[in-house]
Amino acid sequence: MTRARRIFRGVLEAVVIALVAALAVVVVLGVGFRKAGAALVWYDEAASILLAWVTYYGAALVALARGHIAVPVLVERLRGRVRTVVLLAGEAAVIGFFLVLAWAGLRVQGALAGTTLVSMPAVPAALAQSVIPIGAVLFVAAQLMSLPEALRAGSGDSGAREGSVP
Amino acid sequence: MTILLVPLLLVLVLVNVPIAVALGIVAVVAIVATGGVAALPNAGLLMFSGATRFPLIAIPLFILAGAIMNRAGISRRLVAFASAVVGFIRGGLSMVSISASMFFAEISGSAVADVAALGSILIPAMRRRGYSREFAAAVTSSSATLAVIIPPSIPMILYGVMSGASVVELFVAGILPGVAGGLLMMFVAYLWARRTGLPVEGAFRLGRVWRTLREAGWSLLLPVVILGGIFGGWVTATEGAGLAVVAALLVGGVVYRELSLAKLREAVLECGRQTAVVMLLVAASALLGDFLTEVRVPQRIAASIMQVTESKLAILALLNLFLLATGLFLHSAAAIILVVPVVMPLIEAAGIDPVHFGLIVTLNLGIGQQTPPVASVLVTACSVARADIWRVTRANLWFIAVLLAILGVVTYVPGFSMALVEWLYR
Repeated sequence: MTRARRIFRGVLEAVVIALVAALAVVVVLGVGFRKAGAALVWYDEAASILLAWVTYYGAALVALARGHIAVPVLVERLRGRVRTVVLLAGEAAVIGFFLVLAWAGLRVQGALAGTTLVSMPAVPAALAQSVIPIGAVLFVAAQLMSLPEALRAGSGDSGAREGSVP
Repeated sequence: MTILLVPLLLVLVLVNVPIAVALGIVAVVAIVATGGVAALPNAGLLMFSGATRFPLIAIPLFILAGAIMNRAGISRRLVAFASAVVGFIRGGLSMVSISASMFFAEISGSAVADVAALGSILIPAMRRRGYSREFAAAVTSSSATLAVIIPPSIPMILYGVMSGASVVELFVAGILPGVAGGLLMMFVAYLWARRTGLPVEGAFRLGRVWRTLREAGWSLLLPVVILGGIFGGWVTATEGAGLAVVAALLVGGVVYRELSLAKLREAVLECGRQTAVVMLLVAASALLGDFLTEVRVPQRIAASIMQVTESKLAILALLNLFLLATGLFLHSAAAIILVVPVVMPLIEAAGIDPVHFGLIVTLNLGIGQQTPPVASVLVTACSVARADIWRVTRANLWFIAVLLAILGVVTYVPGFSMALVEWLYR
């Protein structure tokens, strides 16, 4: 594993751990305060945004290990140059999609300028939605970093590895 | 245009594009074809809002609770208790595997978590006692599927969000079929044990039961707290999942003192990864779902099928066949996300209760977890047992038959799964 990939994985892991922990704490606080008769107005919105952040930062981490759910049956049966071409075509489609998503996310950032979250007026809506362009770029980076290994192994994502699918 | 999207999706999936991304690409093509490039920023908004649906927060929290329990010595104590209670029956370790799975199912909600936690303890133990690799993997794998039928269940949460059905009612509907499935599996394992001369695990002793009960007591209390809170209406499913995390931390960290920081880090990371896999699918389905709703594809499919037959029984038979076939090739989360929004208008038009149908979907896809080529639970069991997947499948046929029998009863005797729902909530 290259040094850059190790650092990239380490940073993503730290971010995902912090986000999952924050999500659990927010939900538990939300339950506690509601039961105490002092419901937190920001609880639903904060937890939902954290879920989206876990989704996209976690998706990049999973992409680095090629763990997203896919159907590798055909690719695994192909050999030689045909397999490489098919794999690269799939890679191009994935990277192209996330580049489009990053662009779309950036356009949304511009449109949201000046707006804030409903329950947390101090937080800009663009900050919450920033996960789309950032997550998309991280996904592309993860896909590119794991590409050489995927080409050597002969298949891309499988998702069937232990612990990668609930 | 819509008709071209299906082959595009198939091609993308066959060239090994992750299913979530394939859904996203198809949706983007549809958005551009109908609204032009100017409509594309909508994709960013929809991919964000699709991942922020509040009821889905229960998924990472139940995964986290299960991952913590896996690492906190809870599985080992459940196995010891189950061994004391049912180990005296012939083929005792297979009984232990099934009964421990039924307990574990009440706190984890994920069949892969179940098979990974219990399989790593029980499959080597079964091998030492003379069980074949194939049978050990088969019984562990099939009984783990009870985790998605007995509440809480991650596929049921996904189905509830995609269909609008009550997650709590889905949980309740799974209780009787899950318990019946477990008992039937124990019966099949007993017959197999008699035929092949599998051993018993010592005589039944009340002293041993009491000692293991005291050690496993806190673990056994977890489902009472989590499910009692949800079914009693004290907390929602999402809040119950939050409580499950707190309970797992307290039992693993404070009571058993087996949860180190390193283990907790592993559990949190596993939760983050699994959540991302499922939620990326959900977000991409929101993108495609928006387009499908606009062009009314599900409604058109429902109308076409209703023109052929209006019989509930025939429609359910068709859907069962379709879902079983889907389960052969797709993971349950992907299958729910792809199929449920498309068939729900048909379910409504045919007058089928969405909670009843939710259990049918869950059972079908639970069977799909046991049937290669795509069978995440079976693959995990085979990797623990180091056994060939097709030979294990042969040994697994009897247990798959049990799941099919339960599916048949659930489908055609709705009262079997719905009686508790009707009694408690309607």
